[in-house]
Amino acid sequence: MRMLLKRLSNYAMLTAIGWLLVGCGPRLIPLGIVYCSEGNPESFNPQLVTSGTTVDATSQQIYNRLVNYDAKSGQIIPSLATLWYISDNELTYTFTLRKGVSFHQSKDFTPTRQFNADDVLFSFNRIIDIDHPYHQVSKTGYPFFQSIGFDKQINLIEKISDHKIAFHLNSKDASFLSNLASGFAIVLSEEYSQVLSKRNEKEKIDRSPIGTGPFKLIKYVKNGYIRYHRNEQYWRTLPKSEMLVFDITPKSTSRLEKLITGDCSVSALPKAGELEVVLAHDELVIDSQPGFNVAFWVFNTQKPPFDDVRVRRALAHAVDRESILRAVYQKTAVKATGLLPPMSWAYSENKPIIHYDPQEARRLLKEAKVVDLSLDIWAMPVARIYNPNALKTAELIQADLSNIGVDAHIVSYDWSVFNQKLSQYNYDSVLIGWTADNSDPDNFFTPILSCSSMSTSSNRAHWCHPDLDLILAQARATTHTQERKKLYQAAEAIFASQLPMLPLAHATKLAFKHKGMTEVTLTPFGGISFTGTEINQVENKQQKDIR
Amino acid sequence: MTRYLIRRLNLFLATSLVLFAVLFIVTNQFPVEQGFALTGILSPSAQQIAQINADFNLNSDSFDQFIAYLHQRLSGDLGISATSHRPVAEELASVLPASFELASVAATLAIALGLPLGVLASLSRHKITQHTIMAITLTGYSIPVFWLGLTLSLWFGVQLGWLPISGRLNLLYEIEPITGLILIDTLMSHSPYSVSAFIDAILHLILPAITLAVLPFTVVVRITRSTMITIMDQTYIKAAEARGLHTYRIVLRHALPNALIPVIKSLGLMLGAFVSYAMIVEVIFSWPGVGNWLVSGIYQRDYTVIQGGVLAVALSIIFLSIMIEVLHTAINPLSRKELYDSN
Repeated sequence: MRMLLKRLSNYAMLTAIGWLLVGCGPRLIPLGIVYCSEGNPESFNPQLVTSGTTVDATSQQIYNRLVNYDAKSGQIIPSLATLWYISDNELTYTFTLRKGVSFHQSKDFTPTRQFNADDVLFSFNRIIDIDHPYHQVSKTGYPFFQSIGFDKQINLIEKISDHKIAFHLNSKDASFLSNLASGFAIVLSEEYSQVLSKRNEKEKIDRSPIGTGPFKLIKYVKNGYIRYHRNEQYWRTLPKSEMLVFDITPKSTSRLEKLITGDCSVSALPKAGELEVVLAHDELVIDSQPGFNVAFWVFNTQKPPFDDVRVRRALAHAVDRESILRAVYQKTAVKATGLLPPMSWAYSENKPIIHYDPQEARRLLKEAKVVDLSLDIWAMPVARIYNPNALKTAELIQADLSNIGVDAHIVSYDWSVFNQKLSQYNYDSVLIGWTADNSDPDNFFTPILSCSSMSTSSNRAHWCHPDLDLILAQARATTHTQERKKLYQAAEAIFASQLPMLPLAHATKLAFKHKGMTEVTLTPFGGISFTGTEINQVENKQQKDIR
Repeated sequence: MTRYLIRRLNLFLATSLVLFAVLFIVTNQFPVEQGFALTGILSPSAQQIAQINADFNLNSDSFDQFIAYLHQRLSGDLGISATSHRPVAEELASVLPASFELASVAATLAIALGLPLGVLASLSRHKITQHTIMAITLTGYSIPVFWLGLTLSLWFGVQLGWLPISGRLNLLYEIEPITGLILIDTLMSHSPYSVSAFIDAILHLILPAITLAVLPFTVVVRITRSTMITIMDQTYIKAAEARGLHTYRIVLRHALPNALIPVIKSLGLMLGAFVSYAMIVEVIFSWPGVGNWLVSGIYQRDYTVIQGGVLAVALSIIFLSIMIEVLHTAINPLSRKELYDSN
């Protein structure tokens, strides 16, 4: 018996020592960044979607745009285009393209030539020309471009020489360059499209992407990870890290856990309540960037009784937005007074769009002769920059509505299903929001409230108001800043009186990261950058030559 | 013995057939179009619709449909996932090894630690040792696995920072799957980081494996102990003692082999619970196995994934229970005797 015990304890000792040895061995970790992202990208081509998750995973990593937006100076700066010239009538934009830019090489494709005007022609013609061989390859259309009426705006894209290209517009548009700087207006490889056409694998252009960006896609495992390698031929300063991995972690608490245990070096979209946890850890820091976004509660204005402005106002009066700001955002957001955030140049401090008044709400409902109203509130299942916790918001609204005798049900699905079902427009109301794609105030109106956006998935209110459209068109046609500001204020006034949606808050864009991660920068408009350089630092000098 | 094995094989086939029938009926009850539930193709072209109708015999009666369904599924066509657009069979092949690895490590842990501890508990004459062991196992047996998993990850992962708590490997290690078993793949890989990746994989495995091992471990301890106590009172053990054999020899040679028989039987009975625990553990520790995959498939209304997952899990439970029964029969002299009697 004693013998047996002795042997057993020896065995246990040996095992324990073995484990210790294993644990102490020198562990090498490859150089790279792991980013805990919040969901699966729907595609690897941001032209086809409006979701921030996809833009994060693609536009700053795999691709480049013709021009970029510099958050510090608030100006448009060069990227793939080095210079541009705007004609006197403001209808023709001529771009000089950068030389010596090469596309990614993958196991499917080896580029034989460098970036030139054909690539730009292909990338934009694919969007605007219905007969283009690649136009129909996208099953989801081109929602951002459709919502701003891009196809109607452009008359012709003309290749002048291999490194010169001109965009001829139908009407003046002050937001044109801003739109080109948005995360959706990326440049694809025309040569790759030729190769795919020959192999009859056209849909691969969006799934196995080829771009000019700092990282190239190596592998994507759904619900798992996205792996990128550094593009060694990148035309700008090479990023420090050889590898970039997106660890797809939908649960916010799991992202925080992974950040603490070191499985991730950067984590996306934290909930406001998690800030304290991060402050308690010395090795973690918080990155923040004032938000160019707005969260709102949208009514489906095509569906009775929400087509009645009195019902919409009543519901809006019933919601205590202060409590939402406290409980959901916890001081990381400012209350919305309209659609435009305070950071926008067109913002002016207007009076609160609507105040909390349950009495008034009841009165309006009675006036509209709506009794026993019951409605669905669709709440996003995932955290977005503008709303870190839509379900909690929905619960607060539900409680507020029961105060005025309105019965609300909360509906939620997994993100991809949610998006799919939203585009069928059979909801009553939905909690969602908008993150600006560029600095232009137009971006807060045209893509989400104009008549032309009715056909796309971004106009969640399914709303079309001719007066508003007229004002927006006028505002786009002038480049005079003061005048534009006035027009956008007028648009805000129409919005406030009609209230197709109740704006809740403008959230601060947050990310958690380990202290050493200096190469990670949040960009104000969609997308996170891992290249370590402030966007286009180097090229700023050339700025003076333009115009 | 051959006839016995054939009978077991028959049982396996019959149960699987019932499983397919249940799946077939349930598939037709899904609140979506039948073609979509069967193939996962969301908006099929006219040509694809014709193909689906032909493949699944959708225009004839239910029985013919079932035969066509069986034919498709058995030829390896599980449809494509509606969310990832990859063949379900392919996804299954990538998640099954992960589950298998976790489950086998946990089972090995449970048996390797449970058997000696059970023997120890039965031999110990100290009341305190006995009661301590019993109290620990009873506690382990009654702790809900989700609570245990979360608590372990909170202590060892978040607060102490000793162990990683999600996934199978730090994603910066680039290991090409060869066998799908990460412990083997990391060692086989030619990357300069191969050894570090192996250590990292072990560290990732510790917490989920321990969480999953707790339940079978406690069961093994308790059953080993109770059978050992019964066996040690048997006359043949007393005879061995009388002959002056060493306790160590008596236990290992004479008592333990007999004590193993009920342990194996109880392992077979526990299989269902073990698999559902494994799924919960996979979800808690984001282990990319079949359980995690199935649960996310359910959230995403991915009907082909749900069918594929249920099929794979149920088939492996059926297969393993029958294997354990065969093993039990093979090493149990009593049931062997019955076998020959009946033949």
